[in-house]
Amino acid sequence: MHQLWIIVIKEIKIAIREKLVLILASTIVMLIAVALYAGYLSYQQQRSIIVKTKAEKRQEWLNQGDKHPHIAAHYGTFVFKPKTALSSFDFGLDAYNGTSIYLEAHYQHEFMFRPAQDHSSMIRFGELSSALVLKVLVPLLIIFLTFTSYTQERESGTLKLLVSQGIALSRITWGKILAYCSIMTVILSPFFLGMLLLSTISVQQESIPDMTTRATLMILLYGVYLFLFIAFSVWVSQRSSSGRNALLTLLSCWMLLVILMPKTVANLSESFYSLPSMREFKATIEKDKIDGIDGKQPRSEYLAKLRKQYLEKYEVDSVQQLPFNYEGVSMQAGEEYGNTIYDHHMDKLQKIFESQNQLVSISSMFNPFLSVQNLSMALAGTDMYTFKHFEDVVEKYRRELVRRMNRDMAENSKYGDFYGYEAGIDLWQEIEDFSYRTPTAQEVLRNYRVELTSLLLWMSLIIWLIIGFKGNIKPIDG
Amino acid sequence: MDSTTQTLIRYEWKTFVRNRFQLLMLAVTFLFGLYAIYYGKSEINGQRETIKAVQALEQEEFSSYKATFTEEMETLEQEQKHDIASLPAYAWYRHGYHAILPPHDYAALAIGQRDLFRYYYRLTGMSLYYQLFENELANPVNLMVGNLDLSFVLVYLIPLLIIAFCYGLYSFDKENGTLVLLQIQSVSIQKVTLVRLAFYFVLITGLALLISIIGLISSGNPFQIENGAPAFAWLIAVVVYCVFWFGLLFFIVSFRQSSSFNAITAASCWLLLLIVVPAILNVVVTTKYPLSSTTLAGLTRRTGLENEENDEEAKEVILEFLAHKPELKGSDSLFKQNLLAKAYAALTSLKDINSQNLVDQYNAQVAKRNTWTSDFQWLSPAVSMQDVLAHIAETDLVTFMYFQDALAEFHEEITDFYFTRLFWERPILLEDYQAIPVFNISEANGQWTIVTGGLIKISLIAGIVFLLGFINTNRWSKA
Repeated sequence: MHQLWIIVIKEIKIAIREKLVLILASTIVMLIAVALYAGYLSYQQQRSIIVKTKAEKRQEWLNQGDKHPHIAAHYGTFVFKPKTALSSFDFGLDAYNGTSIYLEAHYQHEFMFRPAQDHSSMIRFGELSSALVLKVLVPLLIIFLTFTSYTQERESGTLKLLVSQGIALSRITWGKILAYCSIMTVILSPFFLGMLLLSTISVQQESIPDMTTRATLMILLYGVYLFLFIAFSVWVSQRSSSGRNALLTLLSCWMLLVILMPKTVANLSESFYSLPSMREFKATIEKDKIDGIDGKQPRSEYLAKLRKQYLEKYEVDSVQQLPFNYEGVSMQAGEEYGNTIYDHHMDKLQKIFESQNQLVSISSMFNPFLSVQNLSMALAGTDMYTFKHFEDVVEKYRRELVRRMNRDMAENSKYGDFYGYEAGIDLWQEIEDFSYRTPTAQEVLRNYRVELTSLLLWMSLIIWLIIGFKGNIKPIDG
Repeated sequence: MDSTTQTLIRYEWKTFVRNRFQLLMLAVTFLFGLYAIYYGKSEINGQRETIKAVQALEQEEFSSYKATFTEEMETLEQEQKHDIASLPAYAWYRHGYHAILPPHDYAALAIGQRDLFRYYYRLTGMSLYYQLFENELANPVNLMVGNLDLSFVLVYLIPLLIIAFCYGLYSFDKENGTLVLLQIQSVSIQKVTLVRLAFYFVLITGLALLISIIGLISSGNPFQIENGAPAFAWLIAVVVYCVFWFGLLFFIVSFRQSSSFNAITAASCWLLLLIVVPAILNVVVTTKYPLSSTTLAGLTRRTGLENEENDEEAKEVILEFLAHKPELKGSDSLFKQNLLAKAYAALTSLKDINSQNLVDQYNAQVAKRNTWTSDFQWLSPAVSMQDVLAHIAETDLVTFMYFQDALAEFHEEITDFYFTRLFWERPILLEDYQAIPVFNISEANGQWTIVTGGLIKISLIAGIVFLLGFINTNRWSKA
């Protein structure tokens, strides 16, 4: 053990002597600080606007005055996507998902306003977030720090001396890896601390219930990721004949894993599973809402059957004789009919999205960067799954709102007398204000099994390479 | 070309062809280029297909209207259809017109924001803002990752090639011990370095131009009038951008540091210009000009009259609207026929009039962001290059904002067409279909100033780094 520590300390000393590394390291720390600050600022800005607008819309709903419940259902309300505190760490899909949605009867609207639309094409270079720094830039710093770790010893002949003293090669490797890990820990410690602090401070009014768990997992995730990079780089250095070669190999790997592969995979998924256009998507839904899916059971037929059922059940001749306003019932039935159609088409659309994203998941087996990207977004609550969950909650809320309006109409109004009945604030208050809690980290992560497996496999692979791999080592004096 | 230069080139060629790794990199970049062209084309062709499908839907809609004027009325459905076709009270909010922003041929090479913005709208006489904000279906994950189009290959990958080929121009000789051999030749090291730099410049810029030409020819005919200038500008941009990177490498090499140092520095520059600078600019602009679409969300609400059976309310709304549109006044039957239809037409138009301000403010903020970022583009020639390419291909924000303005005009034409008929109680006749509004968007010219400006910025920076490198290498012989 003693030897190991000597190696660790020596490596750290050497690294600190390197001016370029110091400059890069301080740049990284600064970038993270800027990223966190900017992330937090934009979180604050967006959150305060959303909270304010949300309250306004709630007041609008409550104070809409007395009117027929169905008109209120059309008046509807708005839901805004809450910004999570963890999103200031990883923006994820926030810029590319719509932020607000209008809820009304009969129609499912889609989320509107993708924030990236308010930018020039420069936004496609990406926004500075700490996640970007950690998953894209820090690996490069690691490469710069470690590529000479073996080659230098080899070129200067010290490796020979070390080995001749009877130290196992794997122990030297571990010493180096540990040294770099400690350096990285020191560089990133302010960030990790900040992360934990952030997660404990703003727990109130948050849509994420388990901030601390998520923050801890996030730190763990990036810890594993950076360890992988360190170990891999040291291993490459060990296998390379010269520092130059090690650097070139590592840079090519970085380029491939971080820049090229994610884009290629996403593009391929787009080519394999193509999406319909919104116009066609909507047109099919509208058509099916009249004719039924595949022309089976058109809407009119369905409603006629329902009418007959009600007449038979209550043993009356006309709907006017029913003890409630049948219009409310048929309105709700029409609503549910429409929902079935919508769900059918939405499921199909979601399948396409899922297939596209699955391709990325599978590719993460070959690329730990992709795993980390997905897992990091998942933990920050800015991933596709959380958004989908949010969409589902919103749609459920809409349906409940419309259902309550229709029920009130059935119970209280008279058949054929649309303007004769007006509901008031009592009914509006029955509808609870919309609120959203994300699923727990555990639930979210269940959707990312492939990514988790990929990280585990990569971890084992790297450790195996360092400990167990007995392939040819380059001649010690190169 | 003197004989020493020729010799130098000959030897450089020999070293180049012997290095398998370098050849492989060239081949890979070339293949990526081809794939990028293919991918961009398939994306844009997909959009063209959608446009066709959408136009077909419109054609179908309008020919079904026209048909009702000539065919025998037999069923109730036919009569309803004829009402929609001929009565402005139904037609104004049912007839849908498509406003389309067709892709420029070269949009396939620089997709820009084209996957993010709507490029077609179906507009009726209803409130414009009710129809304006719906998004196109897209997978947000793929939007975030972005497109691997030719502009990506040129902006991201070509510089890497340049780095990989040039970072060791001087240091390799030093490290391999051949430097001394070079020093005893009659030709100066500065010249040797410059010739080699020129050699790789021709090689890599040649490759970039080759891929570009393949892209330009396969995505559209560059000899067509509307493609000629863009194609030319594209090629110029490629050359200028390559000059910049070679200049930068020359500057880095001129410090005579080790290969590893050069490689690290060059890679850091790449990182700085392609990732760090734009990422910082983006996050700064987001926080400096905060924008929340929540303010616009309210516009998408469909509002109705409080009580459709209350004539007074309807009249009030109509009068309020007519104050803005006096030319629609004057019909004797203003309040006698189609009161409800008129009231709704008035209501939705009033909504547009009243929200105009809000939308303008929002768009002004977006424009401010855009100006701010373009003011800082000189910080990164890569950002300028991307911007130049997107403007050549007409896929940048400016084009879409221009499209939005055109949409507003078109919407006004539509409402004028129907509202004059609605308020003056004139039915729509078959011959009126000859004169229905047609969307057209005139050629935006603003982009050429941006393109030229961007190119000048890149050239200037290229000139500076090259000059600095030159000054530095001048000192070599003295040392």
